[in-house]
Amino acid sequence: MQGNDSRPSAPGESGLFNRIAVLRAERGVSRQELADAIGVNYQTIGFLERGDYGPSLKLAFQIAEYFGLPVEAIFSVRPFKPLSEQVYGTRAAQAAPKTKSEESQ
Amino acid sequence: MNAELVFFGKRLDMAQRHRRRVLVVLVYAALAALMIAQIHWRIAGAYLFWLILLACRLFLGGYYSGGLVKLFNEKSPMRPDVPPPLHLLKLRVYEPVPGANGESYRNDERELHQRDRAHYRAYQIIAVAMLVPWGYSAMRLKPNLLGWIPLSPDALYYGLMMAIVTLMFTLPQAILLWTEPDMEAD
Repeated sequence: MQGNDSRPSAPGESGLFNRIAVLRAERGVSRQELADAIGVNYQTIGFLERGDYGPSLKLAFQIAEYFGLPVEAIFSVRPFKPLSEQVYGTRAAQAAPKTKSEESQ
Repeated sequence: MNAELVFFGKRLDMAQRHRRRVLVVLVYAALAALMIAQIHWRIAGAYLFWLILLACRLFLGGYYSGGLVKLFNEKSPMRPDVPPPLHLLKLRVYEPVPGANGESYRNDERELHQRDRAHYRAYQIIAVAMLVPWGYSAMRLKPNLLGWIPLSPDALYYGLMMAIVTLMFTLPQAILLWTEPDMEAD
């Protein structure tokens, strides 16, 4: 799982990255509230957040509907880009110091 | 899986995996001791069978509500109009933990997946365990091979079968209790 943090993280056993923890924190929703809304055990939310469980298509859509976002904004098979990079990507890339390999090119 | 066990009206926190593992070891130790006693004193095996069901009801769950593992069959636990006799006697031996939405007996999709995986692993173990009485029956054809065992062949064979019956009724729950990680607080 990976959220806004810039460090890449392992996707857990499921091989799926997700932003559930970030979205939940952003909206101040507890695991129990989310679990009740989508009809699962709150422990399952923890497994989903850690990427230890890959949800069914139905559950993924329920989660997406709950957050009002498209599924691909919450789940991905590739690590999510940090939000800072997504929002300020171009400026951040320009401001970043060049590496030696880039300079030689 | 429930995080609490209600035993004699007392709530026992079983969210930690090590606690669940201790419970599994205790249940199997008690059943093994009873099995040995049953073979030694030649008690009818039916008593052990009822004790296995009681262990499921009080501790393990799975086939009965009241234990830690949720019902395997996804059916709503029966709520009789008349309180059970043990409740009338104020002996609240077990009591299912009430859920917030009344649907807590249901397994969600991850729990169903875990349930199926536990049954598959239990099936593999029981299939291998079945080789023991099968091999034993084959060896009985050559009595001199088994002369060193201090039990009559019938008693030993009966004990082996009883052990396998015990595993059939308890192993999926035991695997779940053993393998599920610590439950996090919300």
